[in-house]
Amino acid sequence: MAHVLRDAGFEVIYAGIRRTPEQIVEAAIQEDVDAIGLSLLSGAHNVLFPRVIELLRQKGAEDVVVFGGGTIPAGDVERLKAEGMAALFTPGTPARTIVETVGRLVGRGA
Amino acid sequence: MKAAPPDAGVAGLVGAVRAETGSAQSRAAARLMSILEDEPHRLPELLSAPGFEPRPPLLILGITGAPGAGKSTLADELVTEFRSRHPDLRVGVVAVDPSSPFTGGAVLGDRVRMMRHATDPMVFVRSLATRGHLGGLTLGVRGVIRVMELLGCSLIMVETVGVGQSEVEVARVADRTLIVLAPGQGDSIQLLKAGLMEIGDLFVVNKADQPGAQELYGQLLATLKLGVIAEGGAAGSGGLPGAPPQGVEPEPSPDLDLMRGRGMPEVHLVSALKRTGLGALVVSLERQADEGRQALLARRESDLREEVRQAILEEAHRLLEEAMGPAGTTAEQVARVLEGTLAVEEMARELLRKCGSDE
Repeated sequence: MAHVLRDAGFEVIYAGIRRTPEQIVEAAIQEDVDAIGLSLLSGAHNVLFPRVIELLRQKGAEDVVVFGGGTIPAGDVERLKAEGMAALFTPGTPARTIVETVGRLVGRGA
Repeated sequence: MKAAPPDAGVAGLVGAVRAETGSAQSRAAARLMSILEDEPHRLPELLSAPGFEPRPPLLILGITGAPGAGKSTLADELVTEFRSRHPDLRVGVVAVDPSSPFTGGAVLGDRVRMMRHATDPMVFVRSLATRGHLGGLTLGVRGVIRVMELLGCSLIMVETVGVGQSEVEVARVADRTLIVLAPGQGDSIQLLKAGLMEIGDLFVVNKADQPGAQELYGQLLATLKLGVIAEGGAAGSGGLPGAPPQGVEPEPSPDLDLMRGRGMPEVHLVSALKRTGLGALVVSLERQADEGRQALLARRESDLREEVRQAILEEAHRLLEEAMGPAGTTAEQVARVLEGTLAVEEMARELLRKCGSDE
């Protein structure tokens, strides 16, 4: 995904796998990012995605857009959006859709 | 390019960095860095902002070397080592990665190796993409370093991929440049010949635990020794250690005094992964920073003027681009240059006049 976004002209800071929400939010603040992309396959998205949003809020960085992807049941998608996730991509989403959506979310044409 | 920035301007953000702590401080500093990355010519705004009174860091260390030599892992271990030796001192890391020349995008991956420091409030890591603009990059890096100084970082490391002019440029920003080499990369010594040797104040042979490390260490000593002789710096007798040190634990410390005595850059054999040789390296860096303190402070003074000079050139470049307009608007003049009826110099002067009259 990082490379797809790079090829679309984004600067992507790859933070690696199995990071805690605390690490992700601190890194996002130091890097002054427009958006955070979370990928999660373990099924813990209902806990960890909102935790990232909550931490951003606590740290006054709620303007950072958060989107995610992974094996997320349709029922959870709506709930997570209500909790502040800007977009969720389930397996099989075309790369182009992701690039366009992210571009729109951060206010730039991609 | 930011979604919804609390646009406090450079001066306001400087005030926030000074007044705030924790996340609010990090956020203000990070925003300042973004401004200086996106618009490097604004650096003098920072330098002249009320309250911009940075504490000079102990050391600004450039780290460069071939891809895969272990620069990020080494930087990560240096952060750990420095933090454990000085729990009260802050560390900053600027990690520069190349932008794609085709799309302008970039994947900045150096942070992966440093994520364990992400929640350490005394460590600030910032990634920068080269964005295909050499002068602007150097100025952008200088700007980010200045903000790290404002944050009170005592050790600032600038990590770049050692393959080209941008690294040489960025190395000029650092007080000392450390070159990382690793065995199993057949071209390590070739890389040195291609210009990295001249910018290295300090060499690290990383991956000491892997086959070929000792040989590389020996080769490097031989190469550097030749370099010193060529510069007429190797007076006196007594052979330099051409052969690598023996023993299981690769700690080349006995050789270090000899290297120093010869005016040679130090060569350290370390394993960032196995954490050997790092203590000696940090001690050596601290000693160099300490001994060279006066020279470093004097150089930073002249750096300030250099930064303003670069900012002016950057802005002039931007104005000239603007005067030329989008590609095509000067097509007629360009055609005349090609015909030989208009000199480039004449056209440049005309554009400069146009820049001047726009004010």
